[in-house]
Amino acid sequence: MAKLNKDSLKTLSFITYFIILFVFWFILSGYLKSLLLFFGLVSVLFVFWMSYRAKALEEDSLPLKIILRLPFYWIWLFKEIFKSGITTTALIWNGKYSPQLISVKASQKNRTGIANYANAITLTPGTVTIEVDKKTFLVHALSKKLSEDLQTDDMNKVITDLDK
Amino acid sequence: MSYNYIELISLVLLAIGCFFILSGSLGLIKLPDVFSRIHAAGLIDTLGSGFIVLALIIYSGFSLLSLKLLLIPLFLIFTSPVTGHAIALFAHESGYKPRGKNKK
Repeated sequence: MAKLNKDSLKTLSFITYFIILFVFWFILSGYLKSLLLFFGLVSVLFVFWMSYRAKALEEDSLPLKIILRLPFYWIWLFKEIFKSGITTTALIWNGKYSPQLISVKASQKNRTGIANYANAITLTPGTVTIEVDKKTFLVHALSKKLSEDLQTDDMNKVITDLDK
Repeated sequence: MSYNYIELISLVLLAIGCFFILSGSLGLIKLPDVFSRIHAAGLIDTLGSGFIVLALIIYSGFSLLSLKLLLIPLFLIFTSPVTGHAIALFAHESGYKPRGKNKK
């Protein structure tokens, strides 16, 4: 039963991947003629086959569960980027930076979650993930306030909840 | 009349984006070491390009083109942390120590 469930989940994720690829092709081309749509289908199938061959379609790399929460997460992430971007801009203009290295703990369970968290830290201006060591990150922050914001663990919790 | 309104909004957003790019460029020159300069580059990548693309979407109206424009920040969201992390990791591995205190 559990195996069947896993298999159907895999099929579902294949279908989702296929749809995403085709939508991507359509956005980039914008053609609606049937012949060109057919060519698009052929190229999408080719890419699909290539990524299947490269074993890029494991469960870990295509998390179906989070795909619906992703837009909300991006909106939240943009808000964070904006907030710390303003802080960083102020620091650049008034010159009151005091760079420091801190270590941050990550509580995500799988590799995708950890990569996601490290990317989110780097993406918010003012903090850069330097080294990832299993579950601890070495982070360079531009000022004390930015590092304290990170140590309140808000971002960690949001990204861990993403995978529930 | 409404046309002018849209133009004004996109103009304001363009100005904000340009301001962030200017601050990022200033930071690239002003900040003390490699690690701090990555922050400035990240500011350009995220907020600068983000606001400019938003302004262009509003200016050109909503069509297939705006979806294409939305793909630019989407790719930047995936690629810009990777480059920043690669530079920081290489600087760290080759024994470069971040400057601790405020020099000014």
